[in-house]
Amino acid sequence: MTVHRPQPPEDPDLPERPGPAGTPPRIPEPLSEPLSEPLSRADEAPWRRVHPVSPLIRGWIGLLAVAWFWGQNWFEDIILAVEDPGGRGAPPMEGIPFLGGVAWLLLVGGAVLVLVGLSFFLSWRFTKYQVTDQHVNVNSGVVFRRQRQARIDRVQAIDIVQPLLARIFGLAELKFEVADAGQTAMSLAFLRLGEAKRLRNLILARAAGLRSAPEGTGAPGPGLPGTGFSGTGAAAPGSGVGPSEPAAGAVPATDPAASPDSAASLDPAEAPERVVAAVPVGRLAGSLVCRPLTVATVVLVIGALVLQPVLTEDVSPLVVLPFLLGAAGALWKGFSSGFNFQAAASPDGLRMGYGLLDTRHQTVPPGRVQAVQIRRPLLWRPFGWYRVAVNVAGYGPGGDGGEERSTVLPVGTFADVLGVLSVVLPDPGTARPLELITAGIDGSGDAEGFRTTPRRARGLAPLAWRRQGFALTDTALFARTGVLGRALVIVPHERTQGIALEQGPLARRFGVCDVRLATTAGPVSPRVVQADVEVARVLFLEQADRAARARHRHDRDHWLEENPHG
Amino acid sequence: MPQEPVDPQGIAWTRVSPKYAAVRMAGWAVGTAVTLLVLSVPLVLRLAGIWTWPPLWLAWAVPLAVLALDLVRLSLIPRQVRAIGYAERSEDLLVRRGLLFQRVLVVPYGRMQYVDVAAGPVARALGLCEVRLHTAAADATIEIPGLPAAEGARLRENLTARGQARLAGL
Repeated sequence: MTVHRPQPPEDPDLPERPGPAGTPPRIPEPLSEPLSEPLSRADEAPWRRVHPVSPLIRGWIGLLAVAWFWGQNWFEDIILAVEDPGGRGAPPMEGIPFLGGVAWLLLVGGAVLVLVGLSFFLSWRFTKYQVTDQHVNVNSGVVFRRQRQARIDRVQAIDIVQPLLARIFGLAELKFEVADAGQTAMSLAFLRLGEAKRLRNLILARAAGLRSAPEGTGAPGPGLPGTGFSGTGAAAPGSGVGPSEPAAGAVPATDPAASPDSAASLDPAEAPERVVAAVPVGRLAGSLVCRPLTVATVVLVIGALVLQPVLTEDVSPLVVLPFLLGAAGALWKGFSSGFNFQAAASPDGLRMGYGLLDTRHQTVPPGRVQAVQIRRPLLWRPFGWYRVAVNVAGYGPGGDGGEERSTVLPVGTFADVLGVLSVVLPDPGTARPLELITAGIDGSGDAEGFRTTPRRARGLAPLAWRRQGFALTDTALFARTGVLGRALVIVPHERTQGIALEQGPLARRFGVCDVRLATTAGPVSPRVVQADVEVARVLFLEQADRAARARHRHDRDHWLEENPHG
Repeated sequence: MPQEPVDPQGIAWTRVSPKYAAVRMAGWAVGTAVTLLVLSVPLVLRLAGIWTWPPLWLAWAVPLAVLALDLVRLSLIPRQVRAIGYAERSEDLLVRRGLLFQRVLVVPYGRMQYVDVAAGPVARALGLCEVRLHTAAADATIEIPGLPAAEGARLRENLTARGQARLAGL
């Protein structure tokens, strides 16, 4: 579906070339027509363009560099020319009189600006997108055209990203992720924030299988039975930072004139959300202080100060400076990306928002979480803090904002963990989820059905052998490891891509082996460590059967259309 | 094939062609030749008198030690090839490999994303090919080398058909 459609009527003087970097940019209205038409058929869905100032915001660093370089040269030349009218002081300008040099510079600079502006205009003009019932289409490229089509029901996640400059202008980038290991399938940069949210809601409603989305799509997300979670205690949204989500059920105010029918089909109300976890600034700062990196830095600085009188004079204490700068950078990154973190449950799945300068709002639809990891680092244990990360196929191992995107709870209490788990793992498949998770994070021995490393292999893991093990429920495998820094990994059966048994020579002597569960790329790598060989062999075959069976039962691309556990 | 402790019970492994050892040995020969060539540069320079630093015994010892290790690796290749096996079950495909570090991998057909059949020059000359079954997880890629070309084609068709019947999104 890549036919070139006639363009919607536009203001003739509207696609102005964006002004040069120096002038304050004016933001014209992207399109003069109303943002929504009562159309939902694929062949009639309108083609749209991103906001005209987008290329400027994307290329602002480059533009700034050019402007700075050029301005500096010009400035220097003028000064040199004034100081030395003969022109000998400015070798590139030699022979050109003072006024001629300025004119020449102005000419070149103007030509560069026109060229840059023209390329910006062309790249904007040739980038169009369209959202149909089943696909998102993006056409781009001036010389080398590209037409890309992605299936909506294959969406793995949708992000709304706002870099600082875009935020100042009220613009946002929409990222549409499919399972291609971290590459972004579709990136619409930049749209007005309201339009980006409208598109996200539209795509999610269609991906959910709602052809004409009713007002308020269904009940709030399923809760974890018996967790005693209360949604009000965790809600502590920061004030003034980040655009606040519209109230639940509110229709975006972009088309007041649209009829109720079109509002239902094209502007699905933002699904109601319920905050399940939020990170106060104090806890975030505390969690950063209690990182091994911070501790190492402090130790290093103290060591440098103490040893300074002892050391000879040729070793300056400044040698630790690069390390300090690196540590400060990492801590700042952790702080700015964890700032104002908030996770919420909605029928669209898990919603996350965070960021100090650059903000990001993520939506991971139900059933897109491939594996969950709850960590309890050693230094956080006195404070009862946990960290939760997930594997999502659309996010991949790294890339743009990689680690933060996969972190669904940077630092939180046990109640926060349960709140987040109730969204990413709606059905733990056991009658005693709270006990199981507690045993998984902190327990040892065979309580709650955990099978641990056999006693004969305790030489391989003298501290952890009573802890490392696994438990099975109807829907997922729970693998726990670590005794000082603790971790619990949960893999739903229907998300298991493959299972491997691995055994080295030492493990063979002790009659144990590792069971590795393969999932998509991400921060979580599930592994049952040093299990008894007999147990592991049974687990291996049974888990393969369970994975295949679970997959037959529910494969829910359209998560509201099907009954997942029917 | 002997039943190793790590092998699951009741699996009848299909072995790959013994000719695959020749493919591995060809790869071994190329790798060893390049390594030895690089490592013997100091020796040659020392013998020619251009270099004076590495003592002669060291210049000899390093390439010889590496050669000895490589010969051990060569002697293991036939056994390693015999340790490769695969099994098709009704719902999944299993593959095993390794002697010292053993590994058994199972992938349900429904998780298959696509299938590759590949053959290098030596393998093609011997009428062999390699079937790779890719899933959404990079570390759950099944690789079955050393299949006779006809068996590789049959396996590919079989996998595609079975995957189709059970294929789902992700």
